[in-house]
Amino acid sequence: MSRVTIEVVVNGQPHRAEIPARRLLADFIRDDLFLTGTKRGCETGVCGACSVLLDGEVVKSCLSLAVQAEGHEITTVEGITSGGELHPLQASFAEHGGFQCGYCTPGMLMAAIAILNESPSPTEAEVRAGLSGNLCRCTGYVGIVESIMAAAEKMRGT
Amino acid sequence: MTMTTQARLDGDASTIGRPTPQVNAQEKLTGRALYGGDFRTPGMLHLKVLRSPYAHARIISIDTAAASALPGVHAVLTGDDTPDRLTGVHRKQHRILATSKVRFVGEEVVAVAAIDEDTARDALDLVRVEYEPLPLVHNMDEALSPGTIEVHESTGNLSIEYKVERGDVDSAFARAALVHEATYETTSQYPGYLEPMATVAWVEGDGRLVVRASTQTAFLQRNRFAEALGLPVSAVRVIQSTVGGAFGGKTVEECNSLICAWMAYRLGRPVRFVNSRLDDFLGARSSPAERIWLKMGVDNQGLIIAKEVKILADCGAYEGLATHVLQVSLVRSDNMHRYLKDVRLHGRLAFTNHPPRGAVRGFGGPQAAFALNSHMAELAEKLGIDPVEFMRRNAVRAGDTTVHGFELGSAGLTECLDQVSEGIGWITKKARRPDTGLKRRGIGFAGAIHVSGNREMGNWDGSIVTARMTTDGRVTLSTGESDMGQGAYTMLAQCCASELAIPVSHVTVLPTDTDVSPYGHGSIASRVTILAGNAAIRAGREIRGRLLALASETLGVPEGDLTVSGGEIFATSALPNRRLTFGELARMHIYRHGGEELRVTATYDPPTFLAMSRPDQYGNVAPGYSFAAQAVEVEVDTETGQVEILETFVSDDCGKAINPLAVHGQTCGAAAMSIGWALYEEMKFQDCQLLNGNFADYTMPTAESLPNIQSGIIESLEPNGPYGAKGASETAMLPGAAAIANAVYDAVGVRIRELPITPEKILAGLREQEATAAARERRHA
Repeated sequence: MSRVTIEVVVNGQPHRAEIPARRLLADFIRDDLFLTGTKRGCETGVCGACSVLLDGEVVKSCLSLAVQAEGHEITTVEGITSGGELHPLQASFAEHGGFQCGYCTPGMLMAAIAILNESPSPTEAEVRAGLSGNLCRCTGYVGIVESIMAAAEKMRGT
Repeated sequence: MTMTTQARLDGDASTIGRPTPQVNAQEKLTGRALYGGDFRTPGMLHLKVLRSPYAHARIISIDTAAASALPGVHAVLTGDDTPDRLTGVHRKQHRILATSKVRFVGEEVVAVAAIDEDTARDALDLVRVEYEPLPLVHNMDEALSPGTIEVHESTGNLSIEYKVERGDVDSAFARAALVHEATYETTSQYPGYLEPMATVAWVEGDGRLVVRASTQTAFLQRNRFAEALGLPVSAVRVIQSTVGGAFGGKTVEECNSLICAWMAYRLGRPVRFVNSRLDDFLGARSSPAERIWLKMGVDNQGLIIAKEVKILADCGAYEGLATHVLQVSLVRSDNMHRYLKDVRLHGRLAFTNHPPRGAVRGFGGPQAAFALNSHMAELAEKLGIDPVEFMRRNAVRAGDTTVHGFELGSAGLTECLDQVSEGIGWITKKARRPDTGLKRRGIGFAGAIHVSGNREMGNWDGSIVTARMTTDGRVTLSTGESDMGQGAYTMLAQCCASELAIPVSHVTVLPTDTDVSPYGHGSIASRVTILAGNAAIRAGREIRGRLLALASETLGVPEGDLTVSGGEIFATSALPNRRLTFGELARMHIYRHGGEELRVTATYDPPTFLAMSRPDQYGNVAPGYSFAAQAVEVEVDTETGQVEILETFVSDDCGKAINPLAVHGQTCGAAAMSIGWALYEEMKFQDCQLLNGNFADYTMPTAESLPNIQSGIIESLEPNGPYGAKGASETAMLPGAAAIANAVYDAVGVRIRELPITPEKILAGLREQEATAAARERRHA
């Protein structure tokens, strides 16, 4: 099986790794870098539990090969706290019931960051549309949408 | 010694009734929580299984040579390698891997353990299995027809049959002013937890088997592994990982954990088995599809006085908990009707070559609630009364003993009805002139009952909580019940913290480890709040009692003059400067002659009855009964048949809402799951082969497809409940499907009695309406 060497920056940390060419980005993150916060839920790009940021854009790491990340910057759920402080979205998810079992949560947080990057003052409909690539079975999305709306307000400083 | 009267407690510290973030928020939000598949241990192998592509076939031969020769493969095992004892929840029907015969598409036939998942999958491709296909049992009607091949020999394809009769049903129907009968059908719903089932198992140096799994029921799993592997229970340890959702699917029916445990034990090496999503669709127990025939009789006051129910349910290929699910579908919903005394029930569960069916959130309740609430709406229309009023008139109340012997200490059904009516603006919307355009709005409504706990195993439905105070004055709780996201640990921490007047953050709840946690049946039947909540309160009170006794002795102050507040105990009046912290007291408790760690164990076993032990199923099975109601406004597009939910309001009577944040979360999640089931979630089969075993084809609701679900809480205080609380995780799953069906009928006059409510069925109903109208016109012409 052919192997390739890739260089990527994950959560600000440069990595150089020799991996099988068929290695999925999700498996590289979870099994080679031991960043198990990124979840696998469906293998087909539907559930969004494996969502990560690639140069700030949300991608499904189960549909990407690790080699496609060569030369790029990846952010996972482990990389969004700063100085031990929760990201405002993380804090908001706790306060507003944005998670229950927590399995979809890393992907939801990534999607939420991408939503707010695009639109710092989203409408509820925009938030729902932005989450349409992420499944949650626990919350009915009510708490997630509320969490994102509340975090947006906080992040705007209003 | 009753502490509540002797010492004052600082009530301000209590979070009971306040929205409280989950105690495991930090680990879940930072990605550090370790779910079933996240755990690793040195030397760990990866397991994959080859599943049967046939729904019914004899296994002629299995050739594993090429797979075994693949580098990196450690074991390729078949049914012949498994213990020859049969396993199963009640009826023992299958080996750990299939031998001689397969009975459903997806049945586990060969297991491979290899150095990584890719190698294990590659090895599966090299296994050759020769099958001799057998005739299929396609559905439950065929199953019970004479001459059909048997899925299991000498069963006649009948798994179980229930017959219950109370009162004089025939004369009650004869007395009725109105009798209505109709048949309803429900489909099988996949639990749909986001974390596919995952297990890591290994053997310790002393030969004991350790299984770390995503489970709702660690202790029941331990019993099951021990039995299946022929080991003493004491030689098996089950550790509960963080659970990524369960919804009934992670109890004792799934086979991922069993196969993984066996492989690890057999190889003596750590083994990890994570289901792919397709594995999970095929291997999980989805809910039994049911056909429900209902006949109800109503007197001239609009009171339900006679009821007859016949249910035929699809068990699939092996019997697990589906027998009990059917019992619930048959018996439970009758207990909503205050004046019903005469009832006849007949239920049959048929073996087919579908995948085995079992426990899913609501546990038979959603099926029955769909039929009952559709039926009641039809009856209300015939009676010419409002359906909400019809249910209110028949609603059970606190203090009632119901037709099947449920003793209702609390009942908020009427209040749920009022709240959802108010919430959705029922009166105003009902009075509106009907829409006549292409898109038409309609409103619908449904109500439901569920248990909080259910006496069903070994005539014990108790819960045990162990509390230890560490020497810093903080508390660690152990329990055999599971938190799978519903917030059980937060609830337990709140109860204990409240009794000790300390912050919730001073209480740590440990995940179940059968070696150290007290025994528990686990998180099933919405039992944890009412049972473990009571145990946690008792444990907290016991700790407080020990602290007060020690403080009283040390300070020389009577207990009645002591106040417990802020993690300290101090003398209330005379000597305000004399105080002892919980930490000081916990240390004193140990460091003295005859001292010991401050550790208590408290048990709550409710005053309920094992009705399942009686053929007539009569008795008070639960310490509390929860109620729910839901109102829905839909808009139906008459050109496309598409149903859009414009608004929905769900009320959950969960008694005291210990944590309203968690209750609202459960209610909204349950409502979303029922909306999915009502409109599009359906396990689709062709010749018993699952056609939609992935999230692209089996569609669950997305954020975009749902309205903002509104939820309300009814706090009918339950005398048996901790601070008056009952269960809140399942009840709201029940009313949704019928509420939507009723709203669709209100909008366009099409009555859908078979789930899911698809655009095709609505369009067919509309065409039928047009044809009838045209025929009528021709007759008049």
